[in-house]
Amino acid sequence: MIFTEAIFFVFLALTFAGYWALKGRRDFQLGLLLLASAVFYGWWDWRFLALIGGVIAVSWIAAQQVAKRPIGDPTRRLWLVGSIGICLSVLGVFKYFNFFAASSIAMLEGLGLTPGWTAVNILLPVGISFYVFQAISYIVDVARGDLEAENRLERVALYIAFFPQLVAGPIVRAASFFPQMDRQPRLSRGLIAAGLRAFLLGFAYKAGIADNLAQFVDPVFGDAMTPGDSDLAAWSNAAIIGATLAFAGQIYFDFAGYSLMAIGVARWFGFFIPKNFDYPYAATDIADFWRRWHISLSSWLRDYLYIPLGGNRGSKLATYRNLMITMVLGGLWHGAAWTFVAWGALHGVGLSLHRWLFGNSKTRIGFGVGLILTQLFVLLTWVPFRADSFADTLTAWSAFTGLRDGGGGHLPLAVWGIPVLIVIDIVLGKTDFSRLSKSTLLRRPSLYWAGLGGLAGLLLALYPLDAKPFVYFQF
Amino acid sequence: MQGLLLTLAALALVAGHLLRLPNRGGWLGNFAAFLVGLLLVCGLVRVGANAVGAGRVTPFDGFVNRAVLIAEQTDAPLVVFNGASFSRNAIDDERLTAATSERGYPHQMINISLEAASLMERDHYLSEFLKRSRRAPNIVFIEIAEMTDRRPTFIFNNSKFSTRAIAQFDLDASLWTATGLAGGGCLGLTDCVKESGLLGVHSMLNVLNVGLISQGKTLRNIAPSSSYDGAMVARQDIPVKEREQNLATILPTEPKEALNWARSFRTLQRERLLDNGVERVAYYFPPVLSPTERQYAANLCAGELAAYVCIAPEDPVLLSALTGEVWLDDAHLLDAGAAIYVNWLANQLVQRGVLDDEVALQ
Repeated sequence: MIFTEAIFFVFLALTFAGYWALKGRRDFQLGLLLLASAVFYGWWDWRFLALIGGVIAVSWIAAQQVAKRPIGDPTRRLWLVGSIGICLSVLGVFKYFNFFAASSIAMLEGLGLTPGWTAVNILLPVGISFYVFQAISYIVDVARGDLEAENRLERVALYIAFFPQLVAGPIVRAASFFPQMDRQPRLSRGLIAAGLRAFLLGFAYKAGIADNLAQFVDPVFGDAMTPGDSDLAAWSNAAIIGATLAFAGQIYFDFAGYSLMAIGVARWFGFFIPKNFDYPYAATDIADFWRRWHISLSSWLRDYLYIPLGGNRGSKLATYRNLMITMVLGGLWHGAAWTFVAWGALHGVGLSLHRWLFGNSKTRIGFGVGLILTQLFVLLTWVPFRADSFADTLTAWSAFTGLRDGGGGHLPLAVWGIPVLIVIDIVLGKTDFSRLSKSTLLRRPSLYWAGLGGLAGLLLALYPLDAKPFVYFQF
Repeated sequence: MQGLLLTLAALALVAGHLLRLPNRGGWLGNFAAFLVGLLLVCGLVRVGANAVGAGRVTPFDGFVNRAVLIAEQTDAPLVVFNGASFSRNAIDDERLTAATSERGYPHQMINISLEAASLMERDHYLSEFLKRSRRAPNIVFIEIAEMTDRRPTFIFNNSKFSTRAIAQFDLDASLWTATGLAGGGCLGLTDCVKESGLLGVHSMLNVLNVGLISQGKTLRNIAPSSSYDGAMVARQDIPVKEREQNLATILPTEPKEALNWARSFRTLQRERLLDNGVERVAYYFPPVLSPTERQYAANLCAGELAAYVCIAPEDPVLLSALTGEVWLDDAHLLDAGAAIYVNWLANQLVQRGVLDDEVALQ
């Protein structure tokens, strides 16, 4: 079940009605949300409910065991390390086993050896990267003393499995989620409107834009789910650049769209989930980009990986090392493929270079130059993220240089309109134009509701009947 | 087309950003304003989509584009076969063109058929072909099947809420389908209520343009494809005895008429086709194992359609030739079966003089 499928709206309407019918009985409300989350997740493959159930149980037990032991107690450390190890093992087996097995076989075959075993194909449970990270952050937060261990299993379960953000984030912190479970929300016009606004904007991102950009990306780079079906040689340099541009738009509008819809849906149940994107294509340096892109992941990596590694507290070299480790693992988190590792490594190099040149301060090369250089770097690094292989990556990069003899394939001219969409999004969301939405004129009920009707009309026409899965589901 | 798509996406983006919390207003006024905005935009989108030829893509579009291309490439008289899955698996138009050519007729046969296509859906794409082809076909053969006459909503057995299911229920088709349901085109009260409900929802989704331009395709640019589906492997194991028994059973033919709505639809369709330059409208039904379904076609040929060329498969020679491993399932032919049928059909066309003088027999 995904947010743009018709069945989701039925599911949402039923859950919403049930939830608010139980107003005043908080435990029942939360129980219903937990049940709905199980249905939501089980709809994809009910067998993996046991897996997420196991992760929930481990984090619930471990957090309590850690909390009741004093700092320095070796058993406490054992519970902490052991539970994190179990969570990471789950991720390792289900997400990375195929990758490492296939890589090992390829390496042995490259050395002229014939391995006596073959890789088994393990199905990747949807959302595993997200809920495992939430589980880890809960255990670590309790161990750090930032949060009290929760005795009620159902609350830990709801925190990890809350359906709006279960399968593709944002990665929510326990410290912000648990207190919200204690508060009794009030169904109000403001709550409905806030949820509606986020959901509709997210829907416009996803169904209106991202899904339609796939038609520029997939012909050139091949189907994202079918490795090895690309044929970049057949495409002109301009087509490859256009397809890369289209992918930059697609991944942003797809993922930011999902995040906004998740925020909107959570809002309708009285939960506040912080924003996950802050117009990353307006970033003027690479550090700025990572403060705006997938904020919940980058802050998670900062708090639970980069800082524990030493952050920037050691020597410069140690800082660069920490940045590289963090970004390479961040790349690997996105997908079990060497191209993702390369993407992460490139960003690690970019961040290290930025730190070496500018330290902690903002860029000193001017807004325009900073913006252009940053976005060009980001665009070029999307190539390995999307390409099937390193060979395709090099072909695409050479298309950017113009030194390559391009093929005869061309994309429609409309592909060059994609930056316009990105600029419109930034201007309306991040500049003074955003105040327009608060103007008296646009708050007139007749104009607002007519506009909402018009927006609904547009989104229905753009609604993908053959719904494309969210790009980030594969992560 | 992609330009229009991105423009509409940009408009949605602007609207999404600008709409925040409204001031309080009366719910009736709010609802009316919402409806006005919705219907206005739906109307504009529909006009824009029609202007650029955008729409929901179904396999029929590829068939029509191929038919248009063939009509452009040849000056031979055109004979179009329009049906559902029975025809899709039976009418190998290339083979039929060759077979009639061997018999001295230069006619170009074209199949435009798709599984579970209702009378209205088939007619829609036939009209689309007539609109776009540089010349009207000389003869149009329309499949008559009990299934589509009795179940105007048969598509729901195959798919619901799909691109194709939504695309076919435009206002005209919805009215005909509703007429069909009201006139006995469903089985019992529960079925009628269910089918009517599904029809209502699909009609509404069609009117609201759901998914109309999401595929970003101009229908004329869909790659031409052949409607004939020559299956090589059976999907249902039918015992030889059962096959032989069914094919040996020829039930007596009685002149009959179809349900009122199907008869009326065919009458109006005939008039419209002839008005649009088609010289003759004829009818046919490919062979199936069920004696009653074959009998239904034969009955119509003897009754409702007696004044027209109407080729039912109730011929012992044809049926006995089909007793081998030539069935995809009990209602559809494999490629080997299609070859037998096409040969028989070519003989029928010649023997009945259908291809000799199209106008004289009308």
